[in-house]
Amino acid sequence: MTPPPGSLLAAEELRKAYGPTVALDGAEFSIHPGEVVAVMGPSGSGKSTLLHCLAGIVPPDSGSITYNGHELAGMSDAQRSALRRSEFGFVFQFGQLVPELTCVENVALPLRLNGTSRKEAEKAALTWMERLEVDGLRKKRPGEVSGGQGQRVAVARALVTNPRVLFADEPTGALDSLNGERVMELLTDAARSTNAAVVLVTHEARVAAYSDREIVVRDGKSRDMERVV
Amino acid sequence: MSVGQWAKDLGMGVRFAFAGGREGWVRALLTAVGVGLGVALLLLTTAVPSALTEREHRATARDDFTYGANPLSKADDTLIIAEVDTTFRTQDVRGRLLEPEGSRAPLPPGVEKFPAKGEMVASPALKRLLESDSGKLLSERLPYRITGTIQQSGLIGPAELAYYAGGSGLANHLSNGSIERIDYFGPSSGTPDDELDPILILLVMIIFVVLLLPVGVFIAAAVRFGGERRDRRLAALRLVGADGRMARRVAAGEALAGALLGLVLGTAFFLAGRQLASLLKVRNISVFPSDLNPSPALAALVAVAVPAAAVLVTLFALRGVVIEPLGVVRTAKPPRRRLWWRLLLPLAGLALLYPMMGQGNGNGNFNEWMVIGGTVLLLVGVTALLPWLVEAVVARLNSGSVSWQLAVRRLQLSSGTAARMVNGIAVAVAGAIALQMLFAGVESDYTEDTGNDPSRAQLTMHVRDDVALGELAGQLARTEGVRHATALAEGSLGDRAKEPDNTVEATVAGCAELREVARLTSCRDGDMFRILGSEYDGETKKLTEPGETLYFDPAYPGSPSHTVSWKVPAGIKVAGPREDPTGYERGGLLFTPGALPEGTGAAMFETVYLSLDTSVPDAAEFARNTAARIDPLTSVNALTASRQSEEFRAIRNGLFVGATCVLLLIGASLLVSQLEQLRERKKLLSSLVAFGTRRRTLSLSVLWQTAIPIALGLLLASVVGLTLGAVLLRMVEATVSVDWASVLTMTGIGAAVVLAVTLLSLPPLLRLMRPDGLRTE
Repeated sequence: MTPPPGSLLAAEELRKAYGPTVALDGAEFSIHPGEVVAVMGPSGSGKSTLLHCLAGIVPPDSGSITYNGHELAGMSDAQRSALRRSEFGFVFQFGQLVPELTCVENVALPLRLNGTSRKEAEKAALTWMERLEVDGLRKKRPGEVSGGQGQRVAVARALVTNPRVLFADEPTGALDSLNGERVMELLTDAARSTNAAVVLVTHEARVAAYSDREIVVRDGKSRDMERVV
Repeated sequence: MSVGQWAKDLGMGVRFAFAGGREGWVRALLTAVGVGLGVALLLLTTAVPSALTEREHRATARDDFTYGANPLSKADDTLIIAEVDTTFRTQDVRGRLLEPEGSRAPLPPGVEKFPAKGEMVASPALKRLLESDSGKLLSERLPYRITGTIQQSGLIGPAELAYYAGGSGLANHLSNGSIERIDYFGPSSGTPDDELDPILILLVMIIFVVLLLPVGVFIAAAVRFGGERRDRRLAALRLVGADGRMARRVAAGEALAGALLGLVLGTAFFLAGRQLASLLKVRNISVFPSDLNPSPALAALVAVAVPAAAVLVTLFALRGVVIEPLGVVRTAKPPRRRLWWRLLLPLAGLALLYPMMGQGNGNGNFNEWMVIGGTVLLLVGVTALLPWLVEAVVARLNSGSVSWQLAVRRLQLSSGTAARMVNGIAVAVAGAIALQMLFAGVESDYTEDTGNDPSRAQLTMHVRDDVALGELAGQLARTEGVRHATALAEGSLGDRAKEPDNTVEATVAGCAELREVARLTSCRDGDMFRILGSEYDGETKKLTEPGETLYFDPAYPGSPSHTVSWKVPAGIKVAGPREDPTGYERGGLLFTPGALPEGTGAAMFETVYLSLDTSVPDAAEFARNTAARIDPLTSVNALTASRQSEEFRAIRNGLFVGATCVLLLIGASLLVSQLEQLRERKKLLSSLVAFGTRRRTLSLSVLWQTAIPIALGLLLASVVGLTLGAVLLRMVEATVSVDWASVLTMTGIGAAVVLAVTLLSLPPLLRLMRPDGLRTE
């Protein structure tokens, strides 16, 4: 199968096993610029593994992943790291903010890793923190803010480099429904405003409702579902 | 609060320590390994007294020179023993020739039967050396067939090089100082016990404090491994109804479990290490495994103190932590550390040491407990001041690269963990600097100038009287690596034939050789001289006036003699004194061979000074082999400019051995602690890698995190070490001077240990940074 025309990121026939446990068994995936795709499925179905493979974090055992026409398998570890730094953004379930850095330093971190000066990086970080309504937390450390606030800081960190693809792994998994909805609104609005594609891993239907399209993963196999509005 | 409730909560903590599947076990195991290493070293320390006693007992049991006032006569139970010790490269070889005179002659300890002539029983280490390629040169010197092994009861350590060989005709040389007739092995009666002088006692006390304190600091740090995860568990406990105190006791219970497992592991490490002890040799010291028996009382103290310390340290560490049911533990910035009480510790230490100034010298009138207490407080002050210092300094650090920022922010958030990691090193370095200063300050008191001049000769030999002088010099001069040999025959002349009141020396040699020991204006064979003006010689001028009658080899009761009378001739020349290569300025008479009266040579012993070509490897060994070939009873000594007190050297070696063990322990514990911290941050490290952080950046941040506190720790250690060193030197009334070379060496060693640990922790760090650390299922 060839990737759909115009797709930014596509995967074919992905297989991945951790020892005897098969996580992916011929999974397919594609996403276009500006599109929000929800990857759904029960726990242990292989959703997160699919996300990790698509982001070049974990190499698949077989199958192909192309980003913007380039095969990820052909890239070195350093090239994939550079790709993640400059083209991709990440939000994880528990934020995974660096506890010892302040919130603004956390958001500025990806830019600093790309070589931006501290002053400029923190200026850009503040802009995104304002958009995500957490600019008041700039000097606080992650341990001093609430879960919802921390997750919004993590979204700001993911978007600060203007990534072309945003990977979000259960971004509201640790939040109450009110906070979860606010995070999703801000995340999808911000992504759409920058035309970033969003790969959204979730097992919650109300979170998946923010997507344009859903892919269900079960037993390592993926199925593209038409959005029913 | 009832004891039962305490026990219940501690018990729950113990169960928690091992719960949580593999994760829980790994955490408990890491704590136990850290504690275990400390326990092993403590057990080793408790075994030191018994090891020293056992060594001492065996050394005394094989004493073979009784220095009895009445010489023994040959009997069925006597043995003639000759000391034939030698040196092989840098190792001492203890050698004895045995000649039993009857069926009941005493056997040396560890020997089952007397070796026959041409045979020997050797220690296992000597046997191995002789059978190896590196021992070939030595085997030429010991041309005996090995027929048995000296058992443990006859050796002071497993690496000792020793042998007993069969001898013959030894009775003819009993007047030689190294041959004796004995009827038992063991201490000579009335030998007083040697007592250490007060400064050496002070050194030993400080060494024990300095070596044991870092062990205690490390045990305290080890029981706090896994603190972050434990705090989350405690919060969960609070959620289900535990109050704050109960949560703390449960935490103490977890630490107790680690400490108990650590005791078991420590005992296992000690027992395993004890078996390996016989394979180790540090600075010529080796120990038999069976000598390392911890004192039961001290071992029991370790078994009680370590778990108790674990509980107390945990409770103390949690005193400022707020455990809340929902908010986990507050990870917000803790309140600033206060300086005043931290300064109290070193100040109290100084206050205890101050009255001891000038008391440690001479009669040793110092209070041991005040010295130990003061030193402990001063060194513990390092562990109290370091967290404050690290916090105060890192609070002022700011801009820099990403790796620097990650490290500095981490230190700002939890400087206590970093300070704890380097506390042990800092204490060890501070103590070592102080000891080095003390050693350097008092070294001159324990080092005597021998007066030897190694630039003129490097070896001196004493050979029996029945070897021809010319033959002896010729053989030695032809030996590989010998530049030249100065051979002299020496004897004495008395003013009476029997039991003279006054004696003078007689030296016989060629003109060239005589010029090595006296200043001669002119000389040829047939000349004789009297040396006038020698510093300590009052007899020569008086006894050697021409016409005086003197007696070669005057007779003394109990020793054979060949007395020959001789009249000082009128034409005797005068020579000026000159120090020989050993630094001795002789007086008496000098004879060239042609001037020596008939029949007087028999009572002389021969001395040879050898100048070696140091560019020839093993030149000294070749010379020793030649000497042994000429006569196995030849004694050979190396000439050195100075000689250090045996006890002083033993204590310095002991410090070296102890410091090596402590540094190894510190290194191993640091590594365990580093790995534990990295493991706790596995998920965060993986997520940082996921969004593209370079591994180099993270590795550098780990390096900075260690380098900043260690730099501060070593700085503080230098200040405290120099202060303690100065106080100790004042205590023994020595001049206070800083030995900067040893300060730099000690701090360098401390830094090297940390660097090595950081490098060793890099491979696991790189593994932990793999993105699959993000997997949760």
